[in-house]
Amino acid sequence: MGHRSRRRNRFKEKKEFNPRFILGTLFLICVVLIFVSYRYKEMFTPARQFVNNTITPMQSGIKTVGKYISDKFRIFSDIKELQKENDKLKAQIDELKNENMILTQEKYELNWYRELYDLDAKYSEYPKVAATIISREPNSYCNVFIIDKGTDNGIAKDMNVIAGSGLVGIVTDVGKNWAKVRSVIDDDTSISGMFLKTSDTCIVSGNLELLDKGYINVSMINLKAEVYDNYEVVTSYISDKYLPGILIGYVSNIGIDAGQMSKEAYLTPVVDFQHLEAVLVITRLRDQLDNLDEVISHDN
Amino acid sequence: MIIRGIAVIIQVIALYLLQTSVFTSFALAGVVPDLLMIPVVAVAFTRGPNKGMMTGFISGLLIDFTYSSFLGLFALMYLVIGFLTGYANKIYDENDYTLPVILISISEFLYNLMYYIFFYFLNGKLNFGFYLYRFMIPKVIYTVLISLLLYRLFNLENIFFKRFDRQ
Repeated sequence: MGHRSRRRNRFKEKKEFNPRFILGTLFLICVVLIFVSYRYKEMFTPARQFVNNTITPMQSGIKTVGKYISDKFRIFSDIKELQKENDKLKAQIDELKNENMILTQEKYELNWYRELYDLDAKYSEYPKVAATIISREPNSYCNVFIIDKGTDNGIAKDMNVIAGSGLVGIVTDVGKNWAKVRSVIDDDTSISGMFLKTSDTCIVSGNLELLDKGYINVSMINLKAEVYDNYEVVTSYISDKYLPGILIGYVSNIGIDAGQMSKEAYLTPVVDFQHLEAVLVITRLRDQLDNLDEVISHDN
Repeated sequence: MIIRGIAVIIQVIALYLLQTSVFTSFALAGVVPDLLMIPVVAVAFTRGPNKGMMTGFISGLLIDFTYSSFLGLFALMYLVIGFLTGYANKIYDENDYTLPVILISISEFLYNLMYYIFFYFLNGKLNFGFYLYRFMIPKVIYTVLISLLLYRLFNLENIFFKRFDRQ
């Protein structure tokens, strides 16, 4: 017993370094790591892949538990709201039934037009993979998230992610069973967009400060462009990463920017990012679009 | 010693999973509490700057590897916090539950300030008031609320291991 405690004491004495020495060492390691990993990104890819491949299945498991609990909470708080919503929805069903009839008629017309234009590269016909969001960026400032499908399901970097009929974002990083998606509303996002009605191009970029009001930014619209509130903005043909023609949102508050050289506006995204849980990844890259030239020539 | 090290690593990973996967369903005012700050400050306060720095370094690296586009910056931020709060270890008292909560709130604010400077201020986003009001203060409050409970657990663990060591 005495021998053991003596050994522990010696161990303890040996272990206590000067905190400043440790701070200095780790600080230096961090700084070197920042520079090296910034300059040579590929060097750390295997390590990153390893960490993410181990963490993701855990997140996937714990996410289901978390969702179960939060759903249980929601049941209590939402009953009144649901009843109200139910009445509203019943009224809406009648409206929609009516609308649906009109739309079915128009669909025949649309099919005929589509055949005419030979637009078989429409994004509704692209191959897609469904995925669930399993974790979000830990600092709450960014709108980056991780989904539970990766290279195993045919997902690659730069693939477009949609939900419903609107653009969610783009895959920026991918591993065996996970993929990182940067959403449209993230501060670092900048997409080349286009007004569906007038074909005027613009730049759609995320803006954290506008986001609370439900908007993101649209800038670099031509001064002469005749665009008005509620015009649809879609991804443009000149974008090198985004497939053309995916709906991003609707513009509002159009004005002239500070430089007096172009117009700028707010954009309301069609996707509800607050409650986003499942997304679709289009498993076709922009480069693989072979009949693009055809699409463009038809469009003009 | 090794057992405690492994315990801290497991705790950090568990809290990271909670923060990124579970608490996203319980986000208040659009922010998620910074759970990783709690073990960093708790370990630094109960066991001194060296262990605090190691905890911070590991926590930061975890974020770096999964969500940052380059490695080292988050590790650096948590490292500095582990070092600074470690000096409060000199006045550590087993029954004191006020000081650690104050330390966590200050550290969380400092961490968010550094985050703002590195990722927003240097990118020309100068509207500090907005970030302060919209992100920093809610995050500090939410983190402190969680830490009221979580710090107790860390403190109990520390007391338990100390008794265990003495025997």
